[in-house]
Amino acid sequence: MFSKWKRSILSVLAASLLAGTAMAADVTSIAIMTPEEGTDFGWNQQGVDAARAAAEAAGIEVIIASGLGYGDIRPALREIAADGASLIIAHASGYATSAPEIAEETGVPVAIVDSPQALKEGLVADYTLSGHEGAYLAGRMAAKMSRSGHVGIVVSGEPPSWNSQSAGFAEGVKAEDSSVEITYAVIGPAAYSDAAGGRRVTESVIAAGADIIFGQGNGSSFGMLQAVETTTAADGEKVLFIDVIGDKSSVAADHLLTSVVWDITPVYSAMIQDLKDDTFGTKRYAITLADDSVQLLKTDLVPDDVWEEIQEIRGQIVAGDITIEPVFEATAVRGLMTDVTAAE
Amino acid sequence: MSGLFSNVFLTALLFGAVTAAIPLLLAGLGEQMSEKAGVLNIGIEGMMISGAYLGFVGAYYSGSFGVGFLTGALGGIAVAALMALLCVRIGLNQIVIGIALTLGLEGLTALLHHFQFSRSYPRLPAVPITEIPLLADIPILGPALFKHHLIVYFSVAMVLVMIWVYRRSQLGLNLQAAGDKPAALDVAGIDVIRTRTIAVLFTGTMAGLGGAFLANVGAGLFIPFITNGAGFLGIVLAMLARGRPVWVLVGALIFGMCLSLTTAAQVAGINVPTDVIQMLPFLAVMVMLVLFGRRASLPAALGIPYERGAR
Repeated sequence: MFSKWKRSILSVLAASLLAGTAMAADVTSIAIMTPEEGTDFGWNQQGVDAARAAAEAAGIEVIIASGLGYGDIRPALREIAADGASLIIAHASGYATSAPEIAEETGVPVAIVDSPQALKEGLVADYTLSGHEGAYLAGRMAAKMSRSGHVGIVVSGEPPSWNSQSAGFAEGVKAEDSSVEITYAVIGPAAYSDAAGGRRVTESVIAAGADIIFGQGNGSSFGMLQAVETTTAADGEKVLFIDVIGDKSSVAADHLLTSVVWDITPVYSAMIQDLKDDTFGTKRYAITLADDSVQLLKTDLVPDDVWEEIQEIRGQIVAGDITIEPVFEATAVRGLMTDVTAAE
Repeated sequence: MSGLFSNVFLTALLFGAVTAAIPLLLAGLGEQMSEKAGVLNIGIEGMMISGAYLGFVGAYYSGSFGVGFLTGALGGIAVAALMALLCVRIGLNQIVIGIALTLGLEGLTALLHHFQFSRSYPRLPAVPITEIPLLADIPILGPALFKHHLIVYFSVAMVLVMIWVYRRSQLGLNLQAAGDKPAALDVAGIDVIRTRTIAVLFTGTMAGLGGAFLANVGAGLFIPFITNGAGFLGIVLAMLARGRPVWVLVGALIFGMCLSLTTAAQVAGINVPTDVIQMLPFLAVMVMLVLFGRRASLPAALGIPYERGAR
């Protein structure tokens, strides 16, 4: 009798284990939700492109929901969860509150950004990424190439990812030439699509003396570009622009000095694998210079000798000879700017 | 900080303040007329985004900023005509229709942008400037206030026009009556529906121009959601102004100046949280509301559809 019960219990356990394994491995589709269209040569486009590439590599379906804005996306989240997505990537810091709520409600795992404290095993993963190593290189390049000895940082908000890049850029400038002045300006609390604000603030920073602008903004970065294209620096020469995340060289070749380009594909692929391995929501993800998920864009405006020097510095970072720690807090970033300014 | 208090920097700040103020001024003047006539025009944000999109399309394809402002105004009028039909003629809820128009237009213009411009993000050249002789030569103030596109001078002139309309013209009286006592206006033989329709179409024209200014002069390009709530700020300004056009101008300039001050504070390296600095424009508007808006009285029939004979 005992052995019969024992066999039954073992059978149930084995069946549960097998079922659990099957469920963990059952990733059939991923969905990505973006606030703006996936054609912005930046954050939204890189996210959409990476989701497509990761899904294709995994042989699963991808659902793209773009241009959702910055408001309440709970209805859209519920709809996509009901459509059977195995993972929803909520690709905006503004979605970091609503997405976990819907994950709890529907049981569909979500990936969010800028909320590393929100990790929940099996349900919520955070992919607060930082291209600070690339931004550091951009800072070194800007300090080498600034004619006025004055560069600007313009951001449309202060999410952690951008804070770390602003800090990385400032540290790069400081490391290259501590006499270079850095002007830091935020367009608005969440002015991601405020192109007019981007232009207005950038024009003011240029008027203050900057001749290279490190710009971080979604749609608003086109306003920054418009400012550098229609305004001259104090010496009457052109102002150069350093972009982040995407490659705008096809639409801004004349003024785009470089860009800190992200490839998020390895991150999304790792998430899919974590879902399969039942380890989703247990760790954080990163992009680095070492695996080329962060790269500095080479344009015609970068002299060959400067590019070679930058590549040497890149090698030192990859080798661990230079370490750049990410700085995610806005207060610390502003403090760093003050320090940099005071160092002149 | 060498360049912080240079003439160039101060001029850029003041110029930026004027540029930021003009769309709010145009939207506020437009909304003011609607509200005077008893129509709460929540759809003004939709009219602005329509004007921004069509204004940019007009300027981009024609190569003329003048054409851009014309098509922008037409874009605002088209949405206003829909608003007038649904809310003034048919008498549907003004708030519901206004919100629906805004959301619909935001989505429609984002979709059109996606198909038309999302692979190229075209941008306009620098806007042509008209200088006011002598005044433009005043240091700092001259280049900031008297070297602008004609639409800026037109916008300020519209304040004077609206003062005259409200104080001296029969239309002004009709608008006032349409908002306060529409039945009395009807008894006097004036068509209330027609009066309100004129007001809403005027709002559309001004909002469309404001949107076109935002896209063509403010940003030099169009992107989805570019108006970023400017229409709603226009509603706030119109309500604070208590029917006085000059207060719309003052409010818009205060808001624009505060935006520039936030930039100046950051460029100066003032180490206070950016969120606090960014609150300044909205705080200024709230202070204005407390100081000047307490005695504000809105038209008695604001938001109420007019139906002849209804009690």
